[in-house]
Amino acid sequence: MNPSLESLATCFQGLLPAQLFTCSSDGIPNAAYLSHVDYVDPEHVALSFQFFNKSRRNIAENPQALVFVTDPDTGQGWSLRLHYVRSETSGPLFERMALRIEAIASYCGLKGIFRLRAADVYRVLEVSRVVEESGAVRPSAGRVPDPIFTVKALQDLSERINRAECLETLVDSILAGLDDIFGFRHSMILVPTEQDGVLVAIATRGCEQHGVGAEVRYGEGIGGLVAEARKPIRISGLMRGMLYAYAMHKAPTEPEAVRRARQIPVPGLPNPESQLGVPLLVRGELVGVLCLESEVPYRFHEEDKASVELLGSYLAIAMQNMQWQERTIDAAAEPAPAPVAPEGAAAPGPICDSADRARHEIVYYAADECILMDGEYLIRGLPAKILWRLLTIREATGREEFTNRELRLDKSLNLPEWKDNLESRLLLLRRRLEQKCPSLGLVPKARGRFVLHVGCPVTLRAQ
Amino acid sequence: MIDSQLAGFLGEGLGIHLGTRDEHRRPNGARAVAVKVDEDGRHLTVYVAKVAAGRVIPDLDANGQAAVDFGRPTDDRACQVKGIFVDARPAKAAERAHVLAQWSAFLDNLERIGIPRDNTVNWTTWPAVAIRLKVTAVFEQTPGPQAGTPLV
Repeated sequence: MNPSLESLATCFQGLLPAQLFTCSSDGIPNAAYLSHVDYVDPEHVALSFQFFNKSRRNIAENPQALVFVTDPDTGQGWSLRLHYVRSETSGPLFERMALRIEAIASYCGLKGIFRLRAADVYRVLEVSRVVEESGAVRPSAGRVPDPIFTVKALQDLSERINRAECLETLVDSILAGLDDIFGFRHSMILVPTEQDGVLVAIATRGCEQHGVGAEVRYGEGIGGLVAEARKPIRISGLMRGMLYAYAMHKAPTEPEAVRRARQIPVPGLPNPESQLGVPLLVRGELVGVLCLESEVPYRFHEEDKASVELLGSYLAIAMQNMQWQERTIDAAAEPAPAPVAPEGAAAPGPICDSADRARHEIVYYAADECILMDGEYLIRGLPAKILWRLLTIREATGREEFTNRELRLDKSLNLPEWKDNLESRLLLLRRRLEQKCPSLGLVPKARGRFVLHVGCPVTLRAQ
Repeated sequence: MIDSQLAGFLGEGLGIHLGTRDEHRRPNGARAVAVKVDEDGRHLTVYVAKVAAGRVIPDLDANGQAAVDFGRPTDDRACQVKGIFVDARPAKAAERAHVLAQWSAFLDNLERIGIPRDNTVNWTTWPAVAIRLKVTAVFEQTPGPQAGTPLV
């Protein structure tokens, strides 16, 4: 029995190039490779139309086509006999296909170069096996979606969300859960910064480079594209897609060169093969982006995508609620206690209780809202302003304990009245200090209250 | 029509597909395993697994029209050869080494883009049918605006 089109969804990931056969009105056959076949519904697929090539001209004359696709899990080839129905130049299908092209192009530094002219929709008349491409059923392949596993996994993640007491434990426990339960080892959560069109990573897992604090502009990489489009994006076989893009751009190259040439340094794996990004949206507002990556060419299956999208909707609400909750608690919080110093004591100097006793120079560049430590970039934007404010207060008064509330009320920080995302900024600052300067730290003391720990002599200088 | 340089490219282990059409101009196709270009460059032989040849031989017998697409997985360089059917015969045992060497080179190319041999271990290559075509045209087929430009 031949399968339903729906069950072939894995074949439409473009891991192996699809093949398109057409015929002109005067009876000359044509055979060509095809960049992308997209599943539309149980009776239709869409082919990308980027150039007025011979295949496209043939379809205009003779709407009959044959497409070969291959199941990346089993290697089974499938033949789809098609009849052209219509071309779409807008709408969800067109946008989804165009977004995939843009996502791949952005990795090649070719964003905006390739244009999807239309998503050509075809009715599928017949699905049959390509007998010379027999599939193998391997233990590691041909995953059958297990609804019980999926429900239990989502239940577990949902419990993690419920248990989280603050933004930090929320985002960390979700990334850990995705690793523990689904085996998604490389993940990150990005949030919008106070600068328009820029995201910053506040939590990462399995990312050795460009980790917490890494920034990405809207439209760059999977996270930036998801933020820009506010739609989920899944890419499989990224290198294959890039090779295709380079071929179109007349920049033929080899796979190794492609690996080296990824031109946009974005957070995450250096050479991902599969990516899945979902926007974290609450009533249309972008709270963040959840990104998963893998070095396996086809890692994120249909059921994974559905699960992560569902998780994303829970997570978005939880992140927003967490920030509102923190604000409410902050509003009722007591101000930070004044410094306790023995009578007659001199103004407190730096505390030197860590192994790192060398003096560090911390320079704040006000115009750029950027902090360098010993000449190395530490952090910028609002987290930099906050750190500088804390350090200067400490230097002037000796006070080391602070509250979120006072930061919110501090006019010099100029936090927005509403939706200031202070918790995510403090989380980012804490993580950056852990990574780059363990002698400095923000140590939570109670909800909405923390201690600025300075474990080495520091010299502060503003420019 | 096909010079030695192009013949070398076609035989280096590419993805090959043979396209035909029936009397209703419905396209048909099959994956090919290997190719061999005659020294005169005017004919080529496409090797198709016997299990697949039944889908395209009736079309070739009926109208003779053929299109063969060649694509290199590692950079998507591609070209298409149009041809007229000359004849078909079972591939000889003596040709097997040539056919399988090309096929193996193709699988090497797939591995280089991350597709393991496990995925293709069950694909059928032999016995094969040798389908000889007279070359009528050769076109650039690398994706992009130049696809469809005559090469010869």
